[in-house]
Amino acid sequence: MKRLAWIYHPDYLLHSPPFEHPEAPERLVAITEHLGGVGLIDRMVPVTPEYPEDAEILTVHDRGYLDKLEVACRRGDLTLDSEDTYLNRHSFNIALLAAGGAVAGAKAVAEGTADRAFCAIRPPGHHAGRDVGMGFCLLNNTAVAARYLQAKHGVGKVLIVDWDVHHGNGTQNIFLEDPTVFYFSIHEHPTFLYPGTGRRWEIGKGKGEGTTLNAPMAPGAGDAEYRMTFEQMLEPAMEQFRPEMILVSAGFDAHRDDPLADLLVTEEGFRFMTRHVIGLADRFCGGKVVSILEGGYETASLTSCIEIHLRELLGE
Amino acid sequence: MFVARRMKKKLVTVPPSASLFEAQGLMRGHTIRQLPVVSEERTLLGIVSDRDIRAVVLPAGLVPGFTADEAEKFMKNTPVERAMTRKVVTATDTDTLEDAIVLLRDFRVNALPVVDAAGKIAGIITRTDVMEAFIEVLGVGEISSRLEVVVPDRPGTLGQLAAIIGSFHVNITSLISTRHVEEGKRVNFFRIATLNTGPIRKAIEEAGFELLDPSRFILP
Repeated sequence: MKRLAWIYHPDYLLHSPPFEHPEAPERLVAITEHLGGVGLIDRMVPVTPEYPEDAEILTVHDRGYLDKLEVACRRGDLTLDSEDTYLNRHSFNIALLAAGGAVAGAKAVAEGTADRAFCAIRPPGHHAGRDVGMGFCLLNNTAVAARYLQAKHGVGKVLIVDWDVHHGNGTQNIFLEDPTVFYFSIHEHPTFLYPGTGRRWEIGKGKGEGTTLNAPMAPGAGDAEYRMTFEQMLEPAMEQFRPEMILVSAGFDAHRDDPLADLLVTEEGFRFMTRHVIGLADRFCGGKVVSILEGGYETASLTSCIEIHLRELLGE
Repeated sequence: MFVARRMKKKLVTVPPSASLFEAQGLMRGHTIRQLPVVSEERTLLGIVSDRDIRAVVLPAGLVPGFTADEAEKFMKNTPVERAMTRKVVTATDTDTLEDAIVLLRDFRVNALPVVDAAGKIAGIITRTDVMEAFIEVLGVGEISSRLEVVVPDRPGTLGQLAAIIGSFHVNITSLISTRHVEEGKRVNFFRIATLNTGPIRKAIEEAGFELLDPSRFILP
């Protein structure tokens, strides 16, 4: 069995919506209760995240944006820029703590205190860009973790696998021209789902051309299409890229029961994706995988998929 | 919307005396496919396209023993006025964008030089400019979600829908309304600036409208 770091902080529940909203603390409550109930939490290595240094966040975000976010929270603004992205008085701190959670997962694996890590954090991050929050996301947790690994642990090439059902436009933009971070996203086709980006010809720019890979899925796609994409698109690309560390932007909203999208992935699809990523990690980077929670809004499927995801990461 | 708002005003033009070689170089350098030919007073004399150039050079190339060097020499010695189209389909700066779209279709041309009342060239509008306008209207690339709502074809339904979306404090970034395949119905395509479409979808359905399920578009 592998040592799997479990990154969680009770303060993640403090970022809570001022109106009815799918990205709510109840998601994490349901996850921790479910995992406790099936005895999984006890089998992981608990890691308590710390608040990151400003400098760590500034590897990804602009100072001006951080200041704006902090002021908006202090002032009591209910939303940031777009109406779908809410704030409360804790949101700035908890967004920092979420980024700190992704860093803590990366640190545990990089330093070898764990083989793999799962970061049960919120708010999610993959829509957040250098100077903008949107789509429920305030800070790009996964991007901060990637930069942390490069700056503090000498990791050269990082692969980000984003299987949240929405395209991670924030992450893509942050690394668009960076050949050292490969961004792979599988998501519902932009004609049908937010944010409307992630078309197959978006492949990076300048020096980063070829290290962005998008696989838009037609509404109604499920396990078979996902399997084919991982085997026929991601795997050959990794034979070229050869990552030194793999981060997963793990959303579970491609599940057939999730109300926010139109895909039909099942528990078995998430089991396959987890195994496939572990396989890539074993081949290229000593098995190092850090999985970071993004979306997933239907409690029953969210918890059952995460259970399977963790059991696979534990190597049961 | 008037053509003047959409046309390209930074123009690459050639005088009639310019060589085909020069004209081809300009087209390649600017990645364009045609050049208005103008007099010193900026009066439009014709238009020359990459096709026009090929049409002149190709017959010469069929002469036995015609080498690449000779082809280049031929192009350097042949003025644009020998290849250009003199009867140019033009738009005027007071035409609307709708006029331009119909002209481009009806006359099967790629570009319309835009001339002012004095017959001087003011700009050019191409099929690419129309594409750009269309992409903008569709809201492609703007951060948004898409809704397709089928409504009965009667006055006021669009207002009802807009009010529902507005009640969630969400902006509509694009809206297209067209005939539906079913008689007596229309379909409205909205792009709205939110990830959180659930409550809006629910409210639209509760108001008695039909939301199209994206998976219905997948062919069996």
